[in-house]
Amino acid sequence: MSRGGGDGRPQFSTGQLGGLLVVLALMVAGFGWLQPRFFSTATLALVGNQIPDLAVLACGMTLVMVAGGIDLSVGSVVGLSTAVLGHCLGEWNWPVWTGCLAALVTGAGCGLLNGTVSVLAGIPSFIVTLGMLEAARGGAYLISGSQTRYLGDGLEGLSAPIAGLNLSPSALLAGLVVLAGQGLQSFTALGRRLVAVGENDQAAWRMGVDPKAVRIIAFALCGVLAGLAGMFQTARLGSADPNAGIGMELGAIAAVVIGGASPSGGRGSVLGSFLGVLVIAVLQTGLAQIGAADPVKRLVTGGVIVLAVLADAWRRKAR
Amino acid sequence: MHGNRNNPSRRATLGALAVLASGATVGLTGCGSQSGSVAKRDKSAKPKIALVMKSLANEFFGTMAEGAKKHQAANPGKYELIVNGIPDERDVTRQSALVAEMVAQGVDAIVIAPADSKALATPLKRAAEKGVRIVNIDNKLDEEVLEKLKLKIPFVGPNNQAGAQKVGEYLADKLSPGSEVAILEGVVTSFNSQQRRDGFGKAIFQSRLKLVKSQSAQWETGPANQVAASILAANPDLKAIFCCNDNMALGALAAVKAAGKTGKVQIVGFDNISAVQAAIKAGEILATADQHGDQLAVFGIETALALLDDKIGENDKETPVDLITREKLP
Repeated sequence: MSRGGGDGRPQFSTGQLGGLLVVLALMVAGFGWLQPRFFSTATLALVGNQIPDLAVLACGMTLVMVAGGIDLSVGSVVGLSTAVLGHCLGEWNWPVWTGCLAALVTGAGCGLLNGTVSVLAGIPSFIVTLGMLEAARGGAYLISGSQTRYLGDGLEGLSAPIAGLNLSPSALLAGLVVLAGQGLQSFTALGRRLVAVGENDQAAWRMGVDPKAVRIIAFALCGVLAGLAGMFQTARLGSADPNAGIGMELGAIAAVVIGGASPSGGRGSVLGSFLGVLVIAVLQTGLAQIGAADPVKRLVTGGVIVLAVLADAWRRKAR
Repeated sequence: MHGNRNNPSRRATLGALAVLASGATVGLTGCGSQSGSVAKRDKSAKPKIALVMKSLANEFFGTMAEGAKKHQAANPGKYELIVNGIPDERDVTRQSALVAEMVAQGVDAIVIAPADSKALATPLKRAAEKGVRIVNIDNKLDEEVLEKLKLKIPFVGPNNQAGAQKVGEYLADKLSPGSEVAILEGVVTSFNSQQRRDGFGKAIFQSRLKLVKSQSAQWETGPANQVAASILAANPDLKAIFCCNDNMALGALAAVKAAGKTGKVQIVGFDNISAVQAAIKAGEILATADQHGDQLAVFGIETALALLDDKIGENDKETPVDLITREKLP
């Protein structure tokens, strides 16, 4: 498999993003044709309001994967930050903003731990984060007493659609995070270093970059964003559910891969991953709206993921 | 599939494959008529009802969904049905998204088996605000939360406590006062388990039996076998075991047989699964309860249809639970 540019610049291929946009347009057209209601602004706004959590998770996952790692724990970290947020607001009656801060700090802590342990001990990140997947979920059950906590409308402000715009503040915030993530990749030294580290440690050293620090930063950012996703979920449900985010790591990884990132590091863009999130969301919503049978939904979703990656591989080979 | 051209699941299956093929150049005609706007529904139009389930891979919910599809196929002129489940029982995120997707799809009513009794309340309130009528089946939404949200959603389902009491009384009548009995509970946090345990408890109290043990066996046959065996060993005079579901009744039966007490210790269960029917016919298990699992979603749909016609208010509706004994089986 050919890797991205050896010049240490993040790969931002307009051709690839264009391809994803075409796929998206075809899907929207297809579902709209099968189910006219799909074209309604209500449905499109709905897709926008369902994805903020997955979008920020995919953003964090992109940074980690570009640096050559993977984070399997994000779904559980979403659950843990949700439980922390629920406890702070429901049990300790903290103000909303400090509760949210606690959720973000929780996520950051998990990410930092993931990164530090895997980098300093030289253990592959998928093993360390697999441990975190279990541990963080256990922590979520412990803090919440395995109970969903109803919080009411304290966080409603994040998830209620803004009148006239139909999108929620969560969705807008997620949009900003995606833009910031892409900005970080395209315009900052850290963005270039992530790619260098993902390509090859030796090369990174020659550039004068310490791969350890860069990787740890990527995991920490991924953790913070998982905390943010936990906030979004809590706001959407009006309750803190310790089961929140179960299996979301798979959705995030799928989105990143559909978005053109290389599973072995060195290539991937936040914007591409965001389009991957849209592909998954449109597919999910469309299949539900036409009432596809459950096995069919999973077959189709799996098929689309593999097809997207195949198409990407062919395009690269042809070039 | 039922060979019905209008069967929504078949149409949807083909539709989904068409999308996969090409973003849709092949497909079937007719996507179903669109009913009018949700807020003021045209009563002459055929209503569209969404059934939102937990995991359809779970046999109990799969059977429920099949029952609903059969009902729709038998009444194609009355309503349109769209069935969706979630991949994981606990995936409240996906289920809440499904609720919103069904609203955007323009359904008139949602019949839902909530994955969580609290976390689904807020998403359902948003749906109700858009004029969609909601009916709750299977797992009852938390009453406190509904009250806080000022939301009235009818629960349509069996009264597990009354059902268990009926089964318990049938068994208690066969025992003399003071007889030692035990209860096998399901997962202790489960509402259904608590209700059935309380129903058995009432029957035991009324007949002045002596409850020596009430323990959880996690709804499962294997654990029930172990728990029942240890209870039997510790209580040689035990006369009966009340089991909160049929799987546990089978485990208890094996323990009774292994202890050489067949016929001396009576067993009752709950659910009316086929294995227990066979045991009842063989005289090994005394009775069970049938809550008509395949009809639970249908009851919800019928309530939703009545709500849409403004025939009834938003009140809970109890569905039948029948006592199943040897005489009632063919």
